[in-house]
Amino acid sequence: MSALPRLSTIFLAAITTLVAVLLYSPLFVPIVSSFFTISHGSVDWSSPTLATYVALAENHDILTALRTTLIVGVCTVILSVVSGTLLALYYHGRRSGRSLLQFIIFLPFLMPPIISGLALLIFFREIGLERSLLTVVIGHTVFVLAIVYRTVLMRLQSMSRTLVDASYDLGATGWQTFWRIILPNLSSAMVGGAILAFALSFDETMITILVTGTQSTLPVRLWAMMRLGFSPDINALVALILMFTVLLCVLAARFLIPRQVATERT
Amino acid sequence: MSKADSTLPAERRLSLLVTVLAFALPVVFVLVPLAIFLGYSFFSVDQGTIVYSLSLGNYVRFFTDPVFLPVFWNTIVLCVSVAIICILLAYPAAYFLTTLKGRWRYALLMLLLVPLLMSYVIKIYAIRSILGLNGFLNKALVTLGILQEPSTLFVFNMNAILLTLTLLLIPFAILPIFLSLERIPQVLLRASDDLGASGLQTFLRITLPLSLPGVASAASFVFVLAIGDFLTPQMVGGISGFTFGRILYSQFGTAYNWPFGAALSVALAVVVIAAILIGERFGRNRGISV
Repeated sequence: MSALPRLSTIFLAAITTLVAVLLYSPLFVPIVSSFFTISHGSVDWSSPTLATYVALAENHDILTALRTTLIVGVCTVILSVVSGTLLALYYHGRRSGRSLLQFIIFLPFLMPPIISGLALLIFFREIGLERSLLTVVIGHTVFVLAIVYRTVLMRLQSMSRTLVDASYDLGATGWQTFWRIILPNLSSAMVGGAILAFALSFDETMITILVTGTQSTLPVRLWAMMRLGFSPDINALVALILMFTVLLCVLAARFLIPRQVATERT
Repeated sequence: MSKADSTLPAERRLSLLVTVLAFALPVVFVLVPLAIFLGYSFFSVDQGTIVYSLSLGNYVRFFTDPVFLPVFWNTIVLCVSVAIICILLAYPAAYFLTTLKGRWRYALLMLLLVPLLMSYVIKIYAIRSILGLNGFLNKALVTLGILQEPSTLFVFNMNAILLTLTLLLIPFAILPIFLSLERIPQVLLRASDDLGASGLQTFLRITLPLSLPGVASAASFVFVLAIGDFLTPQMVGGISGFTFGRILYSQFGTAYNWPFGAALSVALAVVVIAAILIGERFGRNRGISV
């Protein structure tokens, strides 16, 4: 593509810049307003302030929602990593029924969240399970399971079969082979899957709105507040969440991209 | 020896447990809820209580009531438009990325994907404030002299939904297109160049056809995500921007008709499955081999 004429390169670069501006403008507005006061659409650049961050630290409503989100996220990660790994180990190398079960696991991720959410809502009602944080955790786990499963399965498939064979040849039991050989080889995929699961759970809004009880997670709380308009401290929260998610993203990339490739690129 | 004897049954019990769980988990938490949901679509509601007897009433209502089919159709058109706009913006950007070398390529790709991780609700809120009457877009258009005075063209209507969904979903179009462009062997492009084709000819005859699977995947991703969204239309659509997702959601809130909502969900699921299958059919790479 070196023969690309100059004019078309300029055109492509211009479109790419436009796309970047479009994507970042919704992030730019709250971050700028977390440090500066904005009135009637124009920024007052003269007086930077951290007052919004101080106000955030005193907003109990938001902090409670944040804590709930973290609790839900951690429970979702534990449940989805344990069951996703279990399913990947079980389905790996099995032919009969695997594609059907795999399809079922992927359904909640492929279907619009409103359908998964409503199906779970009716299910909980039919089995008499009161809407609570438990139902939220189940909803999130069902949603992110496909990602964890897929991440672990891909690592399993790339793992050499000879490792397991060697372990058995050396007299190890199935249990020992699992703990000493398989699990250590899967660990980085599991960590990567866990980070992705946490990131998805942290921002899940649509399923949560449908299956939550009285306690709301951060996105649902923000959703409820948005109808009335946000107080400035929300902007501080946005800036912090952005930093946090970028950090998570960098971490996930570290664990998911194989080492050789990573060193090749740096 | 005794140790082996005692671990063996334990191991067998464990593997039985794993087998049961491997089948039970997907069935109980995914298949059963979906089946109950489908069953609900044949029930009805009488004075606030659900009548558990089978009828096709909900589906008849969906097809005969003058309200639902037009909204359903308009929503499909809206989401197809979102997919088209996303692709028109994402394709040049993805193409530009593949012209870059090594580290820059992936750094810029990351830069364009990071906004995906940002809180969805916050983004809707920010976009709404940008599109608003006193928002940045109106300010810019007035300053540039395109508009005489701030316009309500982008507030609380279908345009607002279209723009917001597009802004939210562009990254989902960039990634599959980028991956399909990146997979095109450079040899083919050089061969085309050697054979005397111009840059435009190479693009139209080699690059574009080979990247169409990525475009199909991108379109199907964006369409499915757009049509399933009920929060964005609720937040930026106002009264005139009424989409299928909102009607569906309202059946579980204010309208309180779960069985009818379930029937509407079935209609939505049919469209989504069709979109996924079309994306899958055309999104598969048919043998680029060198």
